[in-house]
Amino acid sequence: MELIKNPKFDFIGKRKIVYIFSCVIIIWGMVILAMRGRDIFGVDFVGGDMLNIELKERVTVSEIRDKIKGINIGAYSVQALGTEGKDFIIKSGPNTSEKIIEALTSIYGTEGEAFSVKGKSSISPSMSVSLRKKAFYAFLLGLIGILIYITFRFEFRFAVGATLAIFHDMLFVVAVLALTKKQIDASVIAALLTIAGYSVNDTVIIFDRIRENIRKTRSDDYFTLFNNSINETLSRTILTVLTTLFVVVLLFLIGGETLHTFAFSLLVGFIIGTYSSVFIASSIIIDWHRWKPHKFKV
Amino acid sequence: MIKQYYFRFLLIAAIIGLCIYQVYPPEKKIRRGLDLQGGVHVVLEVTETAQDEKTISDLADRALEVIRNRIDALGVTEPVIQKEGMKRIIVDLPGVQDPDKAIEIIGQTALLEFKLVSDDPDLLKSALEGNVPPGYQLVYYKEKDERGIYREAHPLLVKAEPELTGKYIEDAYMGYDSSGFPDVNLVFNREGAAIFEAVTAKNINKQLAIVLDGVVRSAPVIRERIPGGKAQITGKFSVEEARTLAIVLRAGALPAKMEMIYKEVVGPTLGRENIVQGFRAALYGGIIVLTFMLIYYTTFGLLADFALALNILILLGVMATLRGVLTLPGIAGIALTCGMAVDANIIIFERIREELRTGKSPKAGIDSGYKRAWTAIIDSNITTLIVGLILFFLGEGPVKGFGLTLSIGIVANLFTAVFVTKTIVDWVMLTRKIEKVRI
Repeated sequence: MELIKNPKFDFIGKRKIVYIFSCVIIIWGMVILAMRGRDIFGVDFVGGDMLNIELKERVTVSEIRDKIKGINIGAYSVQALGTEGKDFIIKSGPNTSEKIIEALTSIYGTEGEAFSVKGKSSISPSMSVSLRKKAFYAFLLGLIGILIYITFRFEFRFAVGATLAIFHDMLFVVAVLALTKKQIDASVIAALLTIAGYSVNDTVIIFDRIRENIRKTRSDDYFTLFNNSINETLSRTILTVLTTLFVVVLLFLIGGETLHTFAFSLLVGFIIGTYSSVFIASSIIIDWHRWKPHKFKV
Repeated sequence: MIKQYYFRFLLIAAIIGLCIYQVYPPEKKIRRGLDLQGGVHVVLEVTETAQDEKTISDLADRALEVIRNRIDALGVTEPVIQKEGMKRIIVDLPGVQDPDKAIEIIGQTALLEFKLVSDDPDLLKSALEGNVPPGYQLVYYKEKDERGIYREAHPLLVKAEPELTGKYIEDAYMGYDSSGFPDVNLVFNREGAAIFEAVTAKNINKQLAIVLDGVVRSAPVIRERIPGGKAQITGKFSVEEARTLAIVLRAGALPAKMEMIYKEVVGPTLGRENIVQGFRAALYGGIIVLTFMLIYYTTFGLLADFALALNILILLGVMATLRGVLTLPGIAGIALTCGMAVDANIIIFERIREELRTGKSPKAGIDSGYKRAWTAIIDSNITTLIVGLILFFLGEGPVKGFGLTLSIGIVANLFTAVFVTKTIVDWVMLTRKIEKVRI
């Protein structure tokens, strides 16, 4: 069986449209992110308490929100999990979850009978600072690691193309998370790094072919050569992401609430990762070449 | 020629056998993280600031020992207690029955002090107005009434310097006082017993406050000299409270002020939900991938499927051997490995198709397919591995577990998708005359 036979798309010729599309989504998402502020981040990055409760009876988010309003604990948010209307996540300031449990007890009845606390966490501001730092270092290390490895295996310009494409993927996913009102927590950071590692796979496979074609043809018509290389590897680019997407879609659909945002980020990220491997990584190298011509020695 | 393959098959069989031996039975051999079985994860930090780094680090070391002793008394099966950096202590208690009690036991400073109470009412009065006399301090006595509810705290003026501290305690256990309330019995060591005897002898008819973490728990009047080094803390405790207090007093006080900066409790229901849903998703995802490969590449797809199954087996085998912790994102990591494991084979098979299209013989096509795909595979796997290792080393808890399964999966992938499939293909090509390859 074969899905795509001898494709001949002009990927690089379409790069201007692609650049504009990506910029629009990313900027739009970042604006929403800035507007939503702290609200979009999980307690692990801003500090505070998180409660995961399950009620015996169905209630609405706004009902819980109204009931908590009375106890004066500062800012908080209530989010429903799943569709049953019984499972909720309540985020609030540091050391306030006990008060919320008390309030829920007085409204719905004793804990363990009328409702149960499935999980809770409490993160102090100083801990959240170090978690943020760690996430930042993880990103930095990841990007630098990939940059160095590709420079070593290919050449610096390729490494920059690949790294910018990864960076694009991460921004794009964060933008989509902001637009879809998801929450950014430690699991999203893990997802973003996985996306980085995976998205670079497709890019590397295309680069590998470019490297081979440069050696074989000695051509310096890079525009055509890059386009051909992307087309020649297109079927495997799509197949590899497809098999991975099968799994990610299932994680997203039936993996449960805890994995929801993680799987969603992976889903968006893997699709965008393929898109950027095909449309962006090589295009950046071509644009750089047009700006400052360079003979690739691979 | 054939002999070389026997050796290879033997190696593959040995690895399969070893992994099955390591993994079986999985529910015993694979450690599960908090998110899969419920439990408690806390991070404590020494908050003492006026000291140099070395002292802080030593304090944290000593605190770690105290916490370890307390947790041993709790009887949790595989606790993880470790120091992070200079001043942090991470405690993981998977599967703990009563998370709130565990948190209390870990976090309580448990600084026990015996302090003499001033019997001068004027001094107390002026202290309440804000003029605490030098060498004294104000503490509050929180007493419970018969129903176990705290009555309003009332102030006591005590000497700042304690007569005796919890350091001299040899043993502590729960008992019952004369009115049937649980209390905590203390046994001092020899040195403590001598001090206690001297203090009680010198201060007959004075009040001795028993102060725990700055709050007076009881303040009995000394009636007579007490030899033998025994004392009781009464205070209308519940059985649970008395037991908890005995545990922390036996293990000793934390040597420094500590703040619980991260606290996570996962209930057992959530843990069960996570494991069921995670595995179901991974299983169905795996089945779809297997089916897809079979349909798309037929015989070669079967080969890739075998490699995938082997990849998962090796992944679990290594997890069990390293005593790695499987978390929910870790299961996602295994699922992703299913998706990625076949990638290497797709790259190889697509390359073989390409080579065959140029008119090469089956043997030459397959050989050059494998050879040319190799650079792409190694480059793409290493970039993912870089990320996997970063997540393992920098990540915490669930994320760390994800980094672990992802990294092992990728390394196993190089072995199964390349070495194992190539061995089988070569062997088939060698033992049977194959004129035409369909892929």
